[in-house]
Amino acid sequence: MIKLTSIDRGETLRYLGSGKVEMNSETDKLLDICEKELLLAVRPKYLYKTIKINEADIIQGESVKAHLKGCEKAVLLCATLGSETDKLIRTAQVTDMAKAVVLDAMASSAVEKVCDEVESLIKAENPDKFLTWRFSPGYGDYPLSLQGELLRILDAPRRIGLCTNENSILTPTKSVTAIIGVSDNPIENKRKGCASCNLKNTCKFRKAGTRCEF
Amino acid sequence: MNFKDLLKNEYIILDGAMGTMLQQSGLKLGEIPEALNIENPEAVIDIHRKYIDAGSEIICANTFGANSYKLGNSSYTVSEIVRAGIENAKKAAEKKALVALDIGPVGQLIEPAGAMSFDEAYEYFKEEIVAAEDADVIFFETFTDLLELKAGVLAAKENCDKPIVASMTFEQNGRTFAGVSVASAALTLEGLGVDALGVNCSLGPDELMPIVKEFTEWTSLPIFVKPNAGLPDPNSNTYNVSAEDFAECMDKIIDFGTVKLVGGCCGTTPDYIRALKKVTENRPYKKAEVLKDTAICSGTTVVEISEPRIIGERINPTGKKLFKEALKNNDIDYILSQAISQVNAGANILDVNVGLPEIDEKEMMTRVIKAIQSVVDVPLQIDTTKPDVLEAALRVYNGKPIVNSVNGEEKSLRTILPLVKKYGASVVGLTLDEEGIPKTAEGRFKIAEKIVAEAREYGINPKDVYIDCLTLTVSAEQEGCRETLNALRRVKNELGCKTCLGVSNISFGLPNRPLANHIFLTMALENGLDLPIINPNDEDMTGAVRAFKVLSNIDKNSADYIAAYNEAKPEKPVIKSSRVTLGEAIKSGLQTEAAQITKDMLTKTDAMSIVNGELIPALDKVGADFEANKIFLPQLIQSANVAQACFDVIKAHLTKNNETPVSKGKIILATVKGDIHDIGKNIVKVLLDNYGYTVVDLGRDVAPELVVKTAIEQNIRVIGLSALMTTTLGSMEQTIKLVKSTPELKDCRFLVGGAVLTREYAEAIGADYYCKDAKESVDAAKRIFSK
Repeated sequence: MIKLTSIDRGETLRYLGSGKVEMNSETDKLLDICEKELLLAVRPKYLYKTIKINEADIIQGESVKAHLKGCEKAVLLCATLGSETDKLIRTAQVTDMAKAVVLDAMASSAVEKVCDEVESLIKAENPDKFLTWRFSPGYGDYPLSLQGELLRILDAPRRIGLCTNENSILTPTKSVTAIIGVSDNPIENKRKGCASCNLKNTCKFRKAGTRCEF
Repeated sequence: MNFKDLLKNEYIILDGAMGTMLQQSGLKLGEIPEALNIENPEAVIDIHRKYIDAGSEIICANTFGANSYKLGNSSYTVSEIVRAGIENAKKAAEKKALVALDIGPVGQLIEPAGAMSFDEAYEYFKEEIVAAEDADVIFFETFTDLLELKAGVLAAKENCDKPIVASMTFEQNGRTFAGVSVASAALTLEGLGVDALGVNCSLGPDELMPIVKEFTEWTSLPIFVKPNAGLPDPNSNTYNVSAEDFAECMDKIIDFGTVKLVGGCCGTTPDYIRALKKVTENRPYKKAEVLKDTAICSGTTVVEISEPRIIGERINPTGKKLFKEALKNNDIDYILSQAISQVNAGANILDVNVGLPEIDEKEMMTRVIKAIQSVVDVPLQIDTTKPDVLEAALRVYNGKPIVNSVNGEEKSLRTILPLVKKYGASVVGLTLDEEGIPKTAEGRFKIAEKIVAEAREYGINPKDVYIDCLTLTVSAEQEGCRETLNALRRVKNELGCKTCLGVSNISFGLPNRPLANHIFLTMALENGLDLPIINPNDEDMTGAVRAFKVLSNIDKNSADYIAAYNEAKPEKPVIKSSRVTLGEAIKSGLQTEAAQITKDMLTKTDAMSIVNGELIPALDKVGADFEANKIFLPQLIQSANVAQACFDVIKAHLTKNNETPVSKGKIILATVKGDIHDIGKNIVKVLLDNYGYTVVDLGRDVAPELVVKTAIEQNIRVIGLSALMTTTLGSMEQTIKLVKSTPELKDCRFLVGGAVLTREYAEAIGADYYCKDAKESVDAAKRIFSK
């Protein structure tokens, strides 16, 4: 079980698009309240499963194939903060939109943190192997529509209550699915770059001449 | 042999896992297990036979995921797979065991967590149920959302007459993934008239013990228990409890009482069933005593009426101008804010009344019930005079509600009570009939007796009838107050019923109404009132209930009282409005100050010059800072919230003087069909509101047809659409197309936004304005309406 004890402030502010903004004490107070409430609402859950690449229908499209080049195996993983988090954000949207926006960003940062921890579990189980970074449906030409199939392989709807709807939207919404390549040999240190990102045309960081550092 | 006969046995042995066995017989990764019903029936029949040999008296057909959502691209229809599944099971059973149609969750989440509507869920289940004519019983298993399970149970009740067993999956904290508590499940499912209920999957028998124990405290129906073979290893998905240990734990579980149907879930095999059978042999059935008082619930929260509980009365348009306006304008957020503030003030239950002649009450009621249940946990009291509205609300309500109300008139009893029974609600019984309200306590008591007797005739437990002896206005009929209290006491003592009472009516026409209300409430509580219907935001009223509970030795050690009042209230800051300007207050996020300044200004200045001369320029300044990256989004919204508080002051002022707030123009906002990420749209709404535009917010997952209908009905020609995902951009395009192809809407203008949307794509689908953020939406609105 993964238990979150804090939320990364820097990451949250990054999601909020606040690079150089000066914070005032009202905003600090808001961040404190949100962190406290969110930590009470999150119920982090995750699943992962190692598959052999050559027998998996789940690997479709050029980008994911390129990502997994040289890997014999891959780990499918999914993680969610649970539906209580969605409810917290939903309620805040009625009572205090500023709070809702902060909670939303914090929750996005929290679910990535859960994925980081799952990834370290996977690393620990594969001490002699080399792993790629997490590649998710929706990156490059890896179809978002495979999200449901990925969850089905992991039995995620039944085991952790993570589903998709007809448009491949994950519910609860603060959730992630991803695939990590596992190789016996060192992997080219391919950074996740803007080229494989679906937001590359609208990204506020790129417009500002920076990167999201993801 | 049928299910009802089998129930007469001491215990019923079910089967173990199907999936585990199929995997052992070589099911491949990603294959749909139910397809084997057709592709390899022998393998499935073989598994069934093994369970029957081990002692199973009911076996589940291999139909758990056989719904049209999960089967998706499969080459078989639901009907083919279900029929084959039942046929295989029947073949294996050779009439030695009964066959259950096994139904699992649809596989996508129901509203509000997901986008599937109650009716859609109902249709998925119905399709499975009508295909299973030959099944002996229906098992709903592994559910985590109570409302989805309710859709299934209703689909079964309304489309066949088979017995129903309903089971949910709980985590170690005693809740399902959707937050459903054991007590909520028990109350709701028993109310809906299932034949047995319980728990399966997720945990091993050891971890399930406290959960089963809790079930025995809440229900007298036979309890169904199918644990996993322990806890799974996250990677290998293997289980850690042996057949012997499994049976040993089940022995203890059966000993709690009321448990009657026992089997295994994931990881269990025929060996587990064999061991389990041994445990039940020559063992007499034991029933635990249900000690809980009458209770109602939402999906997550149970309110036992074992002590006075506050019903909040504020969701009701009667005598409330702003509320009426909100209903007419579809302003659901206003209603939700009323719900949240009452709960924060101490309401245990909320009354919901949205009856207004000029609106579609049925549509509004179901929408409001769903919306309220998506943001607060307390149970609701459905308050309507129309049976069709009541039934629509009862269908979509998650949990066991109170129906407000039935009365002693024949017609009322005949129409309301069957609905109360069918949907398993509690009901308020008003002590009036064809002759009106009896003047005497005796007259009202007689009607209460009649209502309880009739309810019993319909199969409603008398303890679920809450009698309202009716408050009359003391300034008109001074002797009436005593009659009400006497009737209340007699109902409570002689009929043993819970009582409820609307309190504030007592003081109508008197000066200092709060004082009279407050004293009357205390008198009623002392005479046995359980459910005062009051305004919980009135601290004296809520406080009277809290103090009463201390003085009556209900609130042990005054714990709740102390919790409510221990923290000295921070002194309200004295606002010297001269110290800050409205502009500064907005910029710094000072809500109380800004509202006070606005109030002061309204005594000297007219409303529109405050809006145009102060509020809008202040917001423009904040908006410019946001664009220049000097402040970030939450700060922009905080400022908008402050402006909102000012607008509320102005709106209240105008409404009081019977003036209509001036609108700069009407805009429809919607997050498109299939998309449930609506936070961006809601930010846009806040800003547009504050700039004086009237926003008709259609919410999320909005069908194109609803946009067209609303635009025509409300004569709106500006439409804002949001979509977050690449997969839902298509819905945006369809919505624009449908609007543009409607002759009376061909001059509609569109603003669109969303993370994956680009300017180019926006143009390509015919949108007029691409808005990269909320600020640009306001700019676009300004441009459109200035033309």
